[in-house]
Amino acid sequence: MNWDKLSELSQPLLIGAITTVELTVGAFCVALVLGLALALLRLTRFKVLHWLIDIYVEVFRNTPVLAQLFIIYFGLAYIDIRIPAFPAAIIGLGLNGGAILSEVFRAGFAAIHHGQREAALAVGMTPWATVRYIILPQTWRITLPPIGNYAIALLKDTAVVSAIAAPELMYRARNLITATFETTAVYVLVAIIYFCLSFPLARLVNHLERRQKAWQ
Amino acid sequence: MIGFFSQYGPVWAEWQPEFILATWVTIKLTVCSFILAVVLGMLLAIGKLSRFIVLRGFCIAYIEFVRGIPALAILFLIYFGLVPLGLIIDAFWASVIGLGMSAAGYIAEVFRAGIEAIHKGQREAAQSVGMTPAVVYRYIILPQAIRIVLPPLLNMLIILLKDTSICSLISTPEIMLRAKDVAMISFLPMHAFVLAAGIYFILAWPMSILTRRLEARMRRGLRSATP
Repeated sequence: MNWDKLSELSQPLLIGAITTVELTVGAFCVALVLGLALALLRLTRFKVLHWLIDIYVEVFRNTPVLAQLFIIYFGLAYIDIRIPAFPAAIIGLGLNGGAILSEVFRAGFAAIHHGQREAALAVGMTPWATVRYIILPQTWRITLPPIGNYAIALLKDTAVVSAIAAPELMYRARNLITATFETTAVYVLVAIIYFCLSFPLARLVNHLERRQKAWQ
Repeated sequence: MIGFFSQYGPVWAEWQPEFILATWVTIKLTVCSFILAVVLGMLLAIGKLSRFIVLRGFCIAYIEFVRGIPALAILFLIYFGLVPLGLIIDAFWASVIGLGMSAAGYIAEVFRAGIEAIHKGQREAAQSVGMTPAVVYRYIILPQAIRIVLPPLLNMLIILLKDTSICSLISTPEIMLRAKDVAMISFLPMHAFVLAAGIYFILAWPMSILTRRLEARMRRGLRSATP
């Protein structure tokens, strides 16, 4: 394996890696907003809403993300809703992540003493202001490490999206192999690229976790 | 809604045996890769806590690397990537090895946390009465660590069950691959994939509930243990 060959192989893979990062960031934003919204809605008093959210979370957490992606990409086409691969991937991974992160936020809210909320409401803050200025700033410290862990898991889960032909790293790798037959080299390169993307994140989460432990 | 489910009627006779067979493969795949992951993970955890720097370095490198790449990349590397080197592994066993090697990295961290949670006085006491390191692990450390690691291990089992779906991409005949096949033949993709998701849910949900119960019990136990 010489250098020319290596750069020839890694060029399309790096383009795929950029798509992988875009996909991860996109799905992460959807998951973060959705997860926070679900967790906040679960703080309200509407029992029916609680049940609906619980069902949503249980269904998405207990089925494979690949099945969810196939339902969104292939299944919805059956009732004439056609979503292109890239947005379908963001929606699928985002819906899945929303369920995971809503549990993370819920645990974070539960860790804040309920006296904090009562005190804020008692001095006349609106429920939204209470959440925004009292609850959320305190939960970040607790929820940040699991959110980081989720981001790492998400980055790796994007590989699955190649199954619905979204042009990310794994998909590019498979195409590259049909063109060059360099199976071993390409998959080793792919593994190295994924590692280079996720390792800094893993170090960051590790740092956050240690800082949190020092706090306690 | 009823219209949707009534469409299962005509194809059910055809689908039922297919999906039962596929569910069986998924369960076998989950159990085999879980056993491999637990054994490998335990060895890695013990290796990471060992005094031998080479062994420790190797275990840390393995755990960090495997946790940094997708299971799918490992699967492809084993199933397709080894072929040019003359190593051809059957899809089922490639899946078991791939998923097992991937999950072992996580399980190693679970075990390490469990072992470290045992007060070091326990080990010192055991060694001071003349137990060998292997005996200390077998009779003192592991029995206590198992209790701590049980909930995260069960969690890992659920994740593995869901992850077996990606083995369809290397043509292991499990639920997802069957669903894709019947979706193609019958032109009912929504029905096929909803049924597949339903089977995973039925398998995973009871385990989720059990895990949550265990976690709640552990927390109660810990609270009553600390004054």
